[in-house]
Amino acid sequence: MFAAKQSDLTPAQRAHIRRTLWLLLAYAVVLPPLIWLRVHRHMSDLLLMLMAAVAALPVLGMFASWGRYLSDERDEYHQAMTLRRIAIATNATMGAAVVWGFLQAFGVMPLVEAYWIPFVWVIIQGTSGCIAIISRGRHGA
Amino acid sequence: MVRTPAWKRYNWRVIWLSLLYAAFLLPAVYGFKHKLIPEALQYLVAILPALPIIGIFFAIGRYLVEEQDEYVRMLMVRQTLWASGFALSVATIWGFLENFDLVGHADGYWVCVAWFFGLGLGNIVNKLTLGDGGC
Repeated sequence: MFAAKQSDLTPAQRAHIRRTLWLLLAYAVVLPPLIWLRVHRHMSDLLLMLMAAVAALPVLGMFASWGRYLSDERDEYHQAMTLRRIAIATNATMGAAVVWGFLQAFGVMPLVEAYWIPFVWVIIQGTSGCIAIISRGRHGA
Repeated sequence: MVRTPAWKRYNWRVIWLSLLYAAFLLPAVYGFKHKLIPEALQYLVAILPALPIIGIFFAIGRYLVEEQDEYVRMLMVRQTLWASGFALSVATIWGFLENFDLVGHADGYWVCVAWFFGLGLGNIVNKLTLGDGGC
């Protein structure tokens, strides 16, 4: 069943999934030691900056992978669907960021780290992707 | 550079929303600074300036739906993709720098500022790669 579903994927989608999995693996490998070092060792600011950049790189890679996917994808329908999902995720995330930002600025809500914003974006992207897969299955497409 | 009817409508929407933003923001800042806003209304007054900015995001979405010129629309889509990639990357880097205590906290709306800056960046990329920045 999975094999059948896998064959439905376009080559660009397969490449994007492969890239994302590698980047997630890199993220999972890199982040725990960095956090451990941050908590247990005293580091210089330069080293901390380097560590922060290393932790951010796989996430930046994922955004680059989306861009690469959009330029590689030859199926216009899939490309349009992805663009739509990105537009929804971006609007919702920016909306949440601006509301939270003003609540923070006026001291009504606590401060949160900026990386929660890409996290929200990824969650919304993933959720709308799942909804698309479920609704496609329901309609038999 | 093409000025399509959809682009003109988009510009008018953005102008009205920007005026609304100024109308909400200035009293909110004054009110919070001088502690004039009752606690029950603080959330509402803090959210009000955010609404016109959210409106601008919708205006961009509306523009993409209304634009009939496929080439101009494609340029705008490319711009928004660059803007999203740029803003999310900045937020990721800043978030980790915050996490490692290297920079201070930034209010969330700065991500939107980065996004609008990214739109300009997308325009430059369009100009460099396609020879046309768009509207």
